[in-house]
Amino acid sequence: MANLGGPCLVLTGNVKWVERKVWPGAVEEQKERMGEDKVKAITTSWLVLVVADLQIESEKLLAVEDVSDLWPTVKNAFEERLPFKRAILNNKTRNPVLVDKLPAEFILTTDARLRSRFPQEQLLFWFREPYASLVLVTCEIIAVSMMIGTVSFMLVALRGILICTSQDLDEFKTILKPRLKLIVQNDEREWFIVFVSKAHPNNDQATKMAKKVYARLEVDFSSKKRERCCKLDIHGPEPNFWEDLEIKIIESIRNTLDRRVQFYEDEIRKLTLYPLFITFLELLACHNTLFCSQESLAFMFEMAHLHEDALREYDELELCYLETVLRQLTLLDVVLQAAVDIDIFVNMTGKQREFGGIENGDEEAALLNFENKPLTQIVQDDSFREFEFRQYLFACQSKLLFKLNRPFEVAARGYTFIISFSKVLTQHENILPFCMREVWIITACLALISGTYSNYNEGLAAPDIEKEFYRLLGDLYSLCRVKFMRLAYIIGYGSDIERSPINSASLSMLPWPKPSVWPSVPPDASSELILQATPRVKHFCIQRKPLPLEPSVLLREANRRRASLSAGNTFEMFDGRSAIDGSGSDAPLRMSSLNKAQTISMSRTNSSPGFDGSIDRPMRLAEIFVASEHALRQTISNPNLWKSLSSVEEFEQKYLELTKGAADNYHRSWWKRHGVVLDGEIAAVFFKHGNFDLAAKSYEKVCALYSGEGWQDLLAEVLPNLAECQKILNDQAGYLSSCVRLLSLDKGLFSIKERQAFQSEVVSIAHSEMEHPVPLDVSSLITFSGNPGPPLVLCDGDPGTLSVTVWSGFPDDITLDSLSLTLAATSNADEGAKALKSSIATILKPGRNIITVDLPPQKPGSYVLGVLTGQIGQLRFRSHSFSKVGPADSDDFMSYEKPTRPILKVFNPRPLVDLAAATSSPLLINEAQWIGIIVRPIDYSLKGAVLHIDTGPGLMIEESHVIEMESYIEVSQRAGDIANSNSALNDCSLADNKDFERLSLHDGRIQLPDWASNVTSILWIPVCAIDNNLARGSSTGIYSELSTAFISMYGLELLGAILVKATLNIFDAWLDLQDGFVHTGKGDGRPISGFFPLVISPTSRAGILFSICLRNTAAEVEDVAVQPESILNIRYGISGDRTAGAHPPVTAESNGSEGARQDLIFRSALVLQRPVLDPSLAVGFLPLPSDGLRVGQLINMNWRVERLKEFDQNKDSQCNDEVLYEVNANSDNWMIAGRKRGHVSLPTEQGSRIVISVLCVPLVAGYVRPPQLGLPDIDQANISCNPPGPHLICVLPPALSSSFCIPA
Amino acid sequence: MIVCVAVVGHQNNPLYIQSFTEEDDALKLHHIVHCSLDVVDERVNNPKKSGPTLNETFLGLLYPTENYKVYGYLTNTKVKFILVTTDLDVRDADVRNFFRRFHAAYVDAVSNPFHVPGKKITSKTFAERVSTIVKSFGLSSAG
Repeated sequence: MANLGGPCLVLTGNVKWVERKVWPGAVEEQKERMGEDKVKAITTSWLVLVVADLQIESEKLLAVEDVSDLWPTVKNAFEERLPFKRAILNNKTRNPVLVDKLPAEFILTTDARLRSRFPQEQLLFWFREPYASLVLVTCEIIAVSMMIGTVSFMLVALRGILICTSQDLDEFKTILKPRLKLIVQNDEREWFIVFVSKAHPNNDQATKMAKKVYARLEVDFSSKKRERCCKLDIHGPEPNFWEDLEIKIIESIRNTLDRRVQFYEDEIRKLTLYPLFITFLELLACHNTLFCSQESLAFMFEMAHLHEDALREYDELELCYLETVLRQLTLLDVVLQAAVDIDIFVNMTGKQREFGGIENGDEEAALLNFENKPLTQIVQDDSFREFEFRQYLFACQSKLLFKLNRPFEVAARGYTFIISFSKVLTQHENILPFCMREVWIITACLALISGTYSNYNEGLAAPDIEKEFYRLLGDLYSLCRVKFMRLAYIIGYGSDIERSPINSASLSMLPWPKPSVWPSVPPDASSELILQATPRVKHFCIQRKPLPLEPSVLLREANRRRASLSAGNTFEMFDGRSAIDGSGSDAPLRMSSLNKAQTISMSRTNSSPGFDGSIDRPMRLAEIFVASEHALRQTISNPNLWKSLSSVEEFEQKYLELTKGAADNYHRSWWKRHGVVLDGEIAAVFFKHGNFDLAAKSYEKVCALYSGEGWQDLLAEVLPNLAECQKILNDQAGYLSSCVRLLSLDKGLFSIKERQAFQSEVVSIAHSEMEHPVPLDVSSLITFSGNPGPPLVLCDGDPGTLSVTVWSGFPDDITLDSLSLTLAATSNADEGAKALKSSIATILKPGRNIITVDLPPQKPGSYVLGVLTGQIGQLRFRSHSFSKVGPADSDDFMSYEKPTRPILKVFNPRPLVDLAAATSSPLLINEAQWIGIIVRPIDYSLKGAVLHIDTGPGLMIEESHVIEMESYIEVSQRAGDIANSNSALNDCSLADNKDFERLSLHDGRIQLPDWASNVTSILWIPVCAIDNNLARGSSTGIYSELSTAFISMYGLELLGAILVKATLNIFDAWLDLQDGFVHTGKGDGRPISGFFPLVISPTSRAGILFSICLRNTAAEVEDVAVQPESILNIRYGISGDRTAGAHPPVTAESNGSEGARQDLIFRSALVLQRPVLDPSLAVGFLPLPSDGLRVGQLINMNWRVERLKEFDQNKDSQCNDEVLYEVNANSDNWMIAGRKRGHVSLPTEQGSRIVISVLCVPLVAGYVRPPQLGLPDIDQANISCNPPGPHLICVLPPALSSSFCIPA
Repeated sequence: MIVCVAVVGHQNNPLYIQSFTEEDDALKLHHIVHCSLDVVDERVNNPKKSGPTLNETFLGLLYPTENYKVYGYLTNTKVKFILVTTDLDVRDADVRNFFRRFHAAYVDAVSNPFHVPGKKITSKTFAERVSTIVKSFGLSSAG
């Protein structure tokens, strides 16, 4: 194969070229024969049948005319079988593949296509050789004919031999058989024989003969391994003949294919293993051969309808090519560095580096058109052009992919190809025509789009592949769009291109074309006017710096690329304006044949000074445009494309078409954002043409996209456009909402003036006559929330005042004519929200405002704020409690992520206040004393509360007194405080903290002060216990004079018991005695004054003794007023704390006289009785014998009875001197001997005495009570015991006796 | 040169966008970042396409355009980092490294107790740190 290098270098496998090179004149020949169409079909996979002379190669055979009727007879039958169905072929990896339709073609051996092969070419283009030989044999006419068929590019050669024998076997043996042998032996092809029997079934002899010949044939040519013969009976073929034939043909084809694949693979393997460092040309030669081999293989697969394999071969081929290019480059580096073989280098660069693409029409991308260009010329030039080759390669791949029904893959590969090829074009841009790259990309994209789209059917692929496909189409459209815009800009349509973010993003990062020399103005430049663009003023007078569409200043770039340019005057370069505004934007407005005097104009006429022939002068922008346009006209050969650039209208139409295409396709893909953004571009065009309705619709979509995801910067760019559309369309609702949205955008996005303009629009519409008043959602602009802190707590039935914080996003104050807020119960959704209305006009300042709303009584439950509604002029607005589009950045505004907080809680009825007595203490009767009531609110404000007091019976409130109220500190807390501080100073400060107020009582009602509404307080009420009776002591028995002191003790005890916790000061005490009693001594009955004041501390007792005696009635004069009872008087004072429960009584004028002593009088009545003890007899117990008593001992008990005074005869009626006595003794202990009871005589004189003796015997031992002597007739009070008898006496056991009688 | 970096929240809302161009053309970068979310969405929602890289935070090159490249990174909380560069020769490792550092800076910024999750990042420290990371982009590999 090494010798193939030279010529193969250029044989890059272009079929068309192959056709011409291998079969010179064949096409023309065919044209004459079949007409143009069929010839063209050769290069496709259509069927072509060529029947040619039979006798070209074999002169010895008989004349053709004799046989010419055999092939035509069977031809139709044969061709009916085409294309072969369900053929099984082997692919490259020897796996069987089912091919549904295998097109084939029968041609005769005499076919022109089989002629004139150079032997070395035959190997490379072996794939074109027939794949099977069919030998047709018959036995009726002595003639041999050969037929060859082609199957598209895969040929099935039919080599038919028509034997015209004299129906005899000998002739077969002698003539036919050697010839057949010759044919099959010389031929490397797969072959088999078809015996055509023309014998009529009725003609027995002929039939027999035919059978004989066929049998002979089988013997000679068929082997056990393989059947190589089959028989066709013209008059009635065997039923399975055609199947048999088909199988045979396909088998042959398969075998041939396998052999050839093997061959090519070997060939490729050899080539890829080529040593690395051979000379450069050798390498190239080798690789080009490799390409050829590989493409041949691919081609062969394609013919066999093994498209997958063919595609794989092409992919490998491409990969191989790219590798080679890379290797070439590295080798080039090596060569350059070493400077080894300069001749080779020059040779190589001169020849191999030719890129192509400089011919007219090359700018029209041919990436789907593999027969775009007649390559003969290139072949003749013996040059290799990357530009053509790579496009051709891609075209082949895409052709196969289309056949495989994979147009989406074409799109995917195509897009990548365009991008990568665009880079390649950039590298060669200096040799290519002006803007060739851009034009090529535009045409390539359009070709790909139409190519793939026409080959694509809906639902062909899985949904995700489909989406991907549409995305790719969108990408292609937008790439095309960008390049188209770039071209338009260069020729001066820049001002018609919207300076939107998307256009800026794609254009400003795209470098200018880099021709080696920027085109200069042609001499015949037409006269046009270039007017300076007056940028469209946006609605609301929004002024923005336009986004750039150009990577750098075109003027500078173009002039820099001019060969003979000196730096020049910058000012001149910029036409005196761009340099001033410094924006670097050179966007003029081209307006043909328009003359506007106001605008700065520049004439493009030749007469303009210094315009022509001034090559050294920097070009002006206008000139650059004109020059570019002329240069582009040279580049672009496609009239449609040129037309699109010929005028602004055409440009816009094409621009719209491309943008729509991109948007539509993106919409069908995953890339919705791309689609929507492009919709915005379409809207801009609509807007420009006054189609505001469509524009507004598209703008709305864009705005929804941006605002939905919070891209406010981008939104701020589009929203004013939408607003303008809406205003023009008189869509008040939309316009208002747009204004509100503009206002609710980040404050930094618009200047304060612009924001004020938005507000004034809203306000002016609100106050204008609106035909249909529209509700407006201002959720993003006016937000509200409850005040921070716990919610307002109310009880069932309480009215209240709700305070709500409202934030206004308006830049200025705004007047709300009315305002209403709804409250929604959180627990019960069914119950509708209740509206709280505030009909007075509210002025909202920018930022935070606090408004208060009156709250009527609500049902129990928890409430959140619902909706804020209100009116500005005619405009009804509404704000939901939280909005997503709100200005979420500043903390002033409510964050929508926060959960709703209850603003109001209304509770069920419950105790709201706790009233308790401060202390439990008795009252001083008839003295006004403080009663403390502790008022403790239970989580409830007592603001405005009124306390009713009803004293009940026996108590009375002194209405004339003031009522005191002070804050209350719990005792435990206070104790703790004191313990902590333990100093008087702290006590003072504690007292300072107390609130204190004097109140007055009206009709039993007390209005509580405000300060007491939330704190525990204590209310001191002066209460008087009313009792008109005098206190009365209850003691009854006083027995002696000494005991009288206890009377007053009783009184004091009473007092002390009352005032347990108070200190009692007794200043004075005296006793007013009743009749019959007098104070002893000469005093007035008072204790010694030195005792007073007597201080009795709490919990202690004291006693006061009064000394009194019975008055001698005889001595007293009778005129003293009768006093039935004695009265104890005590003058005292109390000092104590009322909080402790004891305190002095309230004085009427209790203001400031707390220090003054208040003396109180305690009076208590006592009844004194005359003393009643009057002993007249004394009974004395005489001592017992000292040696003690023993049981059984007889003793004498003696009692002495003595008369103490004279027996008063008046009083005692019994008037005798006898005294009745009685001895009482326990009969268990004592035995009494003698009289226990009896009368003794006792003289009535004072001092008379007798002794009563009684004999007693003690019965038991121990301490026993002795017998008692009683005088039953005499009152106990008149008996005194003197000396008294003992309580117990000791009785000893009986003395031991020896004279015991012992019973016998 | 890195022209823009951005942090996009899980609701596709911009949290931080910083452009590093001298011109006043941040808006076009906003557009690029915003549109690149399409690609992120596509990758995230298309488990077939993302395939083995499903669990990886680095999304790789999102946009193969002629003039700039957009890289993406997706955190576990569905916060996206987007990088726009005009360097056409960028090594993946560099970008990975960049995102790793950027992620660390982001985590530090949102760990600030005063930062409200889901709100824009306004921290100056974060901005400084990001600009340092951007400046040092590619230096390690170059050196």
